[in-house]
Amino acid sequence: MMVTVKINGKEYSKDVEPRTLLATFIRDDIGLTGTHIGCDTTNCGACTVLMDGRAVKSCTVLAAQADGHELETIENEADKELSMVKESFIEENGLQCGFCTPGMIMTSLYMLRKNKNPSEDYIKNSLAGNLCRCTGYVSIINSIKNANEKINGKKAVVK
Amino acid sequence: MTYLDRFANGKGRYLDDIKLDNMLYMSLVRSPYARAKIKSVEGGMTSRDLKAYYAVVEGDHREPVLAIDEVNYQGQAVAAVFGKNRYEAEDLLSTVNVDYEPLEAIHSIDDAKKKAPIYADRKDNILSTEDVGVKFNESDIDYDIKVTDTILLDRVSANPMETRGIVADYRDGILNVYLPSQSIVRSKSGIVKSLGLPPEKVRVFLIDNGGAFGVKALFYPEYIIACYASMKYGKPVKWQETRTEHLQACHAGRGVEGTLTLYAKKDGTVTGLDGEVLLDNGPYLVDAAAVDLGNVIHEVTGPYHIEKAHLTGKYVLTNKAPNGYYRGAGKPEASILMERMMDLLADKLNMDIADIRLKNALETPFKSPLGLEMRYPTKPFLEDALKYFNYRELSKKEHVGISLFILDEDTAPGESARIIVKDGKVHTYLGGNVSGQGHEMFVKSILSDELDIEQDSISLELQDTETLSTGVGTWGSKSAMTHGSVLMQAAEELKKQIEEKYGKYSPEILLSHDFDQTSFYKFDYNDNQVNFNIVTSRINEMGDFEELKIGAYYDLGKVLNMANVLGQTEGGALQAIGEVLSETLRYSEEGQLMTTSITDSGVLTADHTPEFDIKIVENPSVMKDRAKGLGESPMIGIPEGLARSLETQIHKRINTMPITREFLFDSL
Ligand code: FES
Ligand code: FES
Repeated sequence: MMVTVKINGKEYSKDVEPRTLLATFIRDDIGLTGTHIGCDTTNCGACTVLMDGRAVKSCTVLAAQADGHELETIENEADKELSMVKESFIEENGLQCGFCTPGMIMTSLYMLRKNKNPSEDYIKNSLAGNLCRCTGYVSIINSIKNANEKINGKKAVVK
Repeated sequence: MTYLDRFANGKGRYLDDIKLDNMLYMSLVRSPYARAKIKSVEGGMTSRDLKAYYAVVEGDHREPVLAIDEVNYQGQAVAAVFGKNRYEAEDLLSTVNVDYEPLEAIHSIDDAKKKAPIYADRKDNILSTEDVGVKFNESDIDYDIKVTDTILLDRVSANPMETRGIVADYRDGILNVYLPSQSIVRSKSGIVKSLGLPPEKVRVFLIDNGGAFGVKALFYPEYIIACYASMKYGKPVKWQETRTEHLQACHAGRGVEGTLTLYAKKDGTVTGLDGEVLLDNGPYLVDAAAVDLGNVIHEVTGPYHIEKAHLTGKYVLTNKAPNGYYRGAGKPEASILMERMMDLLADKLNMDIADIRLKNALETPFKSPLGLEMRYPTKPFLEDALKYFNYRELSKKEHVGISLFILDEDTAPGESARIIVKDGKVHTYLGGNVSGQGHEMFVKSILSDELDIEQDSISLELQDTETLSTGVGTWGSKSAMTHGSVLMQAAEELKKQIEEKYGKYSPEILLSHDFDQTSFYKFDYNDNQVNFNIVTSRINEMGDFEELKIGAYYDLGKVLNMANVLGQTEGGALQAIGEVLSETLRYSEEGQLMTTSITDSGVLTADHTPEFDIKIVENPSVMKDRAKGLGESPMIGIPEGLARSLETQIHKRINTMPITREFLFDSL
């Protein structure tokens, strides 16, 4: 079946099997490999992308369901806020092996757009669907606080 | 572009990102039973096509890469199928028919003691036994009290966020292999040996590594099958493990049960240690087991001087995936066992947990009766650490657990590096590989200092076995020590090269010419160090944490990069907490894995992040770069500290890890 999606502002049409997962579609059919796959049970969040502005786990959505929708992935260079989140992860060393990072960054972007003044607890709880095995999350939480200052211009309140 | 830039922009090149023309995707038919006879297999690639073994050690009961006549754990590979994409490969699994006759399986160390041997050539379920120290009689030692306990550290899955995988690409007579590995040199020798290939026909490429934690230092059946298939079909073959396969079939860490007896005098001096340590080995002879169990039994006395010690280690056969490395590989087990025993002894003697440790720590370096050479005095370090955390005051107000431990780094035999200078850029290759710990940061700072050049002109590159044919590996907390040292040596040798040719060294000469320098930093023994952790916690009546604070007092010799240090400590700490609270693999009586997802396996989420007080001290090591190790330290020191802190709140001895939330709740 034909699936047409806009990814990072660019339109793609591909003929795929109906069972194709959005994660496979983005990675294998379109070739944007920044979105990762870390599990097969919807737990890890490495595959997180934005669909019509909302964070979704692309391993849990069929490519067919994304037909006609707009997606944003880690590769997007035109989104200033996304760039700010990336910068913050770089400044705060919010990654080690980098495998969870694209998912973490997309989740963070969504979080900071939804909540303009997130507390530390809010940040931690919003990361419940994203696993990182390397950092222990401390530097990721610091990255998000830093990004919040860049995007929303406020310091995250502790607790 | 630094690794931070690449990864934050989704530009990493991990295994599953590799796409080659005509590539086949491999899927495996795996045994649904923990133990069974295979009556017949139809379809797929089987041991009829490929009869090979992947373990480097020689001996009975090695695992064939594809099962021959029997399976001995759930998830064992029986047949392989190959499709044009991953969906097709999975579809093809249904074309293979296997007829099994299920047999009674062994699902735990305890079970192995009770049940009939799984192998006809054994009289029990012990694969082999190893003794360390000298056996002694109770009458030979001076003691007033003895305490005995059995401590179980259950199995843990390494669970790097990127699972295992391989791309094998046989073309023009050369087998090219792409692998996220902790040592491509070792991987290459594994492939060469298993498939009987000439070394010059195999080239292994290191790629970005999405986390390792020990599992990517090992060698597996799937790797050999993929290599063979690529040679057979003349096409590239990719295998990317699913998380479900990882939990089921990837070699698992810990799985250690120790029964120890401490003999002590009334004043707390431990005069003797005896006991038995059992390893949940899995059904096959694998390379990792001897390291895992060996580390436990050799290092168990840790920072303490104990006059007489003896231990028996046993490799226990179980019908579960084979034993593998997990961050620390035996070192955490040694320390957790010892420190839990010290707490028990302190309780029996009504002594403070710090005082009993002070009593047994030493003012001078010493050699333990189990063969561990402790190179630094442990007592002054403990005194300093206790003072730093204001232990005497803190322990009056809070639920405190502490641990004094050693980190024995795997620094021998040293490490290699290559520096290529071309077009004004300095390209660096490390013999021990990068496995996602941010090595690039210290590589740049060391070379920029040594060569007096800008960090921007230095890059750390991913090598292959041609660009750097020698090398050891990244494990055992020694990476910064050996890599830092070899880089300094390579920089010196490079400068000498320039001085000889141009009469003097200058950064300008370096960057305006081409140079090529390969060096090996030789180091003959394993260095070690002493470290300290302190854990305070408060749980509520539901068993939830109101507070959790990790104090670390670590000797790093010389800090090469502080961000690396914090990252390793914080990341390791959360894994250590997980090991106490939740992380494990649970099996049914039939040996069926009941843990079905990464969440189920207990990997912790961000809301478990503790508070930290990390104090780094720098007593230079003897290495060229003065550094000491770190990566495994949080795993070695934190679990027992947390266990103690919890124990004082639930008033129940903790001798099993992980404890469960139900256990905590029931004890309150
Ligand atoms: S890959 Fe989508 S949640 Fe893990
Ligand atoms: S940085 Fe490795 S999993 Fe998060």
